[in-house]
Amino acid sequence: MKMTKIYEGSHQWIMFGRDPHKADKIIDTNQYLVRTGRRCLLIDPGGIELFAPMLAAVLHYAPVEEITDLFASHQDPDIISSLGLWDQALPKAKLHASALWEGFLRHYGCDSIEYVAIPDNGGVINLEGLELKIIPAHYLHSSANFHIYDPIAKVLFSGDVGAALEAPGAPMFVENFDTHVDKMRFFHQRWMPSNQAKRVWIDKVRSLDIQIMAPQHGRVFKGDDVKRFLDWFENLQVGIAV
Amino acid sequence: MHESQTKSQFVAVASIAAELSAVMEVAKEISLAAANAKAIAFRAGEKAKGFQPITDFINDLAKETIALVNKINAHALQLYRLTVNEQRITEACKYFEKAAISARGAAYADSLTPLLLQAQVRKQSSRREFERHVVELLDQLGEVMHPARAARVIAANSRIEASQAGEYLQSLQAVAESVDHAAQIIHDKVHRCRSALSLIINSAL
Repeated sequence: MKMTKIYEGSHQWIMFGRDPHKADKIIDTNQYLVRTGRRCLLIDPGGIELFAPMLAAVLHYAPVEEITDLFASHQDPDIISSLGLWDQALPKAKLHASALWEGFLRHYGCDSIEYVAIPDNGGVINLEGLELKIIPAHYLHSSANFHIYDPIAKVLFSGDVGAALEAPGAPMFVENFDTHVDKMRFFHQRWMPSNQAKRVWIDKVRSLDIQIMAPQHGRVFKGDDVKRFLDWFENLQVGIAV
Repeated sequence: MHESQTKSQFVAVASIAAELSAVMEVAKEISLAAANAKAIAFRAGEKAKGFQPITDFINDLAKETIALVNKINAHALQLYRLTVNEQRITEACKYFEKAAISARGAAYADSLTPLLLQAQVRKQSSRREFERHVVELLDQLGEVMHPARAARVIAANSRIEASQAGEYLQSLQAVAESVDHAAQIIHDKVHRCRSALSLIINSAL
């Protein structure tokens, strides 16, 4: 599992991905850890097959007992099918996920972890005073979908928005936006169902000061590439299957 | 618990639920046969005087079997939940062990040790709880055998009484046959449940 620190300041953002042991037919995913002094938030912890490498990777940055919070952007198996195992590993942790998905996510096993239901208009995750904003991103692609914005680090975790389907071992950061577009186009056109939802999200995100946009698949956008992405996404017609 | 053991445990517990559902159907048939026999005995009057109390016995036995099966069904459901729990904790142990191997050299690798130990304790305690419930279920299944055996004795008595019922002989004999047959089915099905449970316990030893 490749581990990359994407922000270091009063707290840290660490990205995990490109697991070399991942089975071929399973989609590659990025997981993120936000680490403050004594607490950690694990963002989109991943599929069940990724649990052991993820836990092992996190232990390079924090002890088990300091993984206090999990966040699931939506209900998909590549996001959170590992929940049943985290539930056994972190009985005192909290899972922040959509109120709408609670009855579904509990199928993965959620007996000990506290389910903190996020209302449709989002909310805040407070890690020792660090306020991470939960940004609604409904219908992008899931009907109840959230992103995380860190106003101190100026990092936006953007879930499936900005995702790209890449060859194994691809670099962690976008190096050439124009060539990267080809890896994103079909994914966004086919997976994102609503142009209206896309416009609402873009309007919201443009009001945020973002230095790093970190999606759940593919590469991370930095600096001006964030604005380039928003412009490109704005002009893209989505929901093409109907 | 190995993966193949987990699978066979799931199959065994599910098959018990299926067998019990069949036992319930048969017990309901016995209850119906008792009502039918009562009506025939009433019409036969003096000729089937000895048969009349037997019909009440048959009905009581059917009710007793239904009540026991309901109780056992609830227990079998609990056993299924315990199997799911045990499977989850066994899986978790497997993944924690994998993580411990991969985390060698990590700054906080040691923090995994208490987690691993706690999971192993939970796994053992989950196994013990499962085994305790299996033993209790075996006892309850043994209890269902009693009314089934009694039903067979009553069926034999019914044949004797039926032989004195004149023109009602055939109808009452049919009732006796149907009770005997049903009791035999219950006996066989309960026996299969007990064998499946014994297999689970023995394979784990």
